[in-house]
Amino acid sequence: MSNLETILSRDAYILSIEVRLFWFIALIYGICFILYIIHLTTKKTGPGRLATNMLWVAVITHVGLILLRTFEGQRAPFQTLYESLSWFAWSASITYLYVERKWKDIFLPGILVTSLAVGASLYALLARSPAVEPLSPPLQSYWFEWHVILAFLSYAVFVVSCSIEIVYLVIRSSVKKDLRLEYGLNKGNLETFHRTSFRLALFGFPLLTFGIFSGAAWANEAWGRYWGWDPKETWSLITWTVFAIYLHSMSIQKWKELPASLFNILGFICMLMTFIGVNWLARLLGIPSLHLYAM
Amino acid sequence: MTILQNIQNINWQGIRESKLYRRFASLKTSCILLCILVGFYTIGTIFPQDAQLDDYIKSGGRFISFVIFFDLLNIFNTPVFLIIAILLFINLVICTFERFLMLRSQNKTAAEDWQFTPAYTFPLDINQELESAEESVREIFKKELRFKEKASQTYGIYIMEKGWSYRWLTWAYHIAILFCFLGFLMTYLFSFEDEITLYPGEVAVIKPAAASRWNKSWGNSPQIFDFKLELAEFITEYNQLPKLEYPADKLSRLAFALGWKDPQYTLKEESYFPKDWKSRLKAIKGNMAVLEKTIEVNDPLSYQGITFYQAAYKQMLKIQVDDNPISFETETGKEIIIPGIDGMLKFGTIRIGTLFKKDGGMEKIRPFTEVTLVKKESSGKLAPDPPLYPLQGGDKGVGRGTETENIGKLEQDGAVYIDNKRISIKEFKEASILSYRYDPGVPLLWWSGIVVLLAMSFRVFGAWYRITYRIEEKDGASHLLIKVNTKGLIADEERLIKRLKHLLEKMTEPIDLDTPV
Ligand code: HEM
Repeated sequence: MSNLETILSRDAYILSIEVRLFWFIALIYGICFILYIIHLTTKKTGPGRLATNMLWVAVITHVGLILLRTFEGQRAPFQTLYESLSWFAWSASITYLYVERKWKDIFLPGILVTSLAVGASLYALLARSPAVEPLSPPLQSYWFEWHVILAFLSYAVFVVSCSIEIVYLVIRSSVKKDLRLEYGLNKGNLETFHRTSFRLALFGFPLLTFGIFSGAAWANEAWGRYWGWDPKETWSLITWTVFAIYLHSMSIQKWKELPASLFNILGFICMLMTFIGVNWLARLLGIPSLHLYAM
Repeated sequence: MTILQNIQNINWQGIRESKLYRRFASLKTSCILLCILVGFYTIGTIFPQDAQLDDYIKSGGRFISFVIFFDLLNIFNTPVFLIIAILLFINLVICTFERFLMLRSQNKTAAEDWQFTPAYTFPLDINQELESAEESVREIFKKELRFKEKASQTYGIYIMEKGWSYRWLTWAYHIAILFCFLGFLMTYLFSFEDEITLYPGEVAVIKPAAASRWNKSWGNSPQIFDFKLELAEFITEYNQLPKLEYPADKLSRLAFALGWKDPQYTLKEESYFPKDWKSRLKAIKGNMAVLEKTIEVNDPLSYQGITFYQAAYKQMLKIQVDDNPISFETETGKEIIIPGIDGMLKFGTIRIGTLFKKDGGMEKIRPFTEVTLVKKESSGKLAPDPPLYPLQGGDKGVGRGTETENIGKLEQDGAVYIDNKRISIKEFKEASILSYRYDPGVPLLWWSGIVVLLAMSFRVFGAWYRITYRIEEKDGASHLLIKVNTKGLIADEERLIKRLKHLLEKMTEPIDLDTPV
């Protein structure tokens, strides 16, 4: 075998391990999701606890996957959509596990988090190419690297924040009426649990700000225009503005409750639009997008 | 002087108390304005911005009368959008001003805390005199917990703080956001851009075709710069790009995951993937090169406020047909009609420069291009297949009403044959396309953006504590009554209280302390 052939078959072999490992991780995310659903329907803490333990397994294995990809590409492994989806699934799960460790028997936010983790993983595996390819010249920038790392990290944090917000909104009145729901939430811990959602959004906001700033700095260096009102850029600005409104409404006495919660959920929806649904609204209305940003 | 006097004579207090001013100083107004902006942004993502109306209609765009009436293809330049942005700016100016006044006075009095509801009560050593207990507690806060005294009152209420003041940090990044707005404004008014195409060895005068909005509105013509730009060299580099053989359909991918087949990388001879484009540029003043830099994508050259970017490249070819002394000139990627050939010829990118190989080696590329024959239907039917030779690969792509055929690789000193005609390259040249831009808003945005990020990060990720406490005598014993405020994600009230309890225990050794109430 020539040197080149050896390199190519080695790369293919590593890729096959990587892709299969990713499938395995996606499978665990899927099982965690099902276990959380079982917890929801049976109200038993066992499945919830098992799901959380399995999620730890998935997250730790996923670290291996990210390191393997770094070794394969000899660069930061966040730069294609395939890679950033994987990063997103991992960072959402680890953020959830980090905040969940302080709670006793509260597992409901895991439903949304794992559904997104499994969704992102399957989207990467089924619809994107796993090939490790060199980056085109415009993408060869430190700004771009940081842009993706931090923007996706902020998305992960917002996912967990929104999951908590939804659980809070759904369960709040029952807890306040003292109905025993057995999801680990009671009058004593409900507000602290809800406060985590705000703290997470607060944590994510500077990250998203830096994500947008580094994106603009990158565009400025590559094309000389820091802002071009491209749909993807504009959606990230929408997400940022909605979260700014959310954080502000937490300081307005009358908006603190339901309106603020709705802004948090809206922020999450906008984040999804930035991520995958950029031209969905235009398509829905039958408007042609003449300037489409490459995903 | 009279202007100054007039300003001094304005009833500022009256203005500050007016209803409109109060409304503009409110956070609710900011939220409403931000919501309206979100509405504009959303419209901007639905309708293609900067598109020509004709193109929009041709591509099947809808709601034409709305689009025209509200200028939806250019929404971010409409007066309504600009007015909303200005209102937010005013809102921010007033907010930061009011906040500044508040922060300044608050630092002196901290009025809100003089009447406080304590969150924790700790009994202190019974035997100690009240004054010495006060002294010891103060020592604990100052020396052990590193608090700084902010204010104290005659009734024995103390306020202490540690960490960076979150209020000043919040204020700082709001001010910095204000400066970002000014940066956007400067871009909007003073920026301009253009493009130049340079062949190696050529020198160009920097003479933008369009003026900035500001100059345009004053009827001024575009600025001409007093230096020239020379392209000393244009360099292209490629990577070898192995292709991954991997199933596209979802089921096969699932089967693949279960071990059905292994992926494979293959490397075709023509797999060239752009690695970099570089231009060696010289800024020339008089006859002197005053600055020289090799720019590439993501690494531009800045001189006298203008920045030059590696935008693209252009390749021109002179094609010789048989031994005909007249040659045909064309640009790569464009179609050309050559008499005697049925259809049009298209020449792909000329690969030239350095190839970085997968095995770590490097080689100089022998320049070549890919030739394609394009046939367009003239009567609604596809043109019949003529016999073509030489067929290399024979790749036939069929578009609607168009048939393309890959003729093959044409090297610099080689030839291809089409319809018995020998096609060869007589000459080719490659130009660098540079875009350039003058944007005085960028430096302001850089600095204010960095301040926003730093101040926001310190505010959000940092830790700030304020304690308000009083020592009170109850049932013959001294008690410490305390309230703690924290800001910042790493501020930990629980830990602070635990440490405080531990330190107080040390101070009041003989007494068994209750847990905080
Ligand atoms: C693009 C515009 C703006 C952005 C991105 C922004 C961002 C933020 C963020 C992220 C926070 C939350 C941080 C925290 O809880 O301390 C905040 C708080 C705040 N903002 Fe803004 N802001 C903007 C405009 C404004 C305007 C126009 C006002 C004026 C009314 C304002 C007044 C405030 C106030 C009073 C707070 C609460 C600070 C506190 O908790 O003490 N902001 N802002």
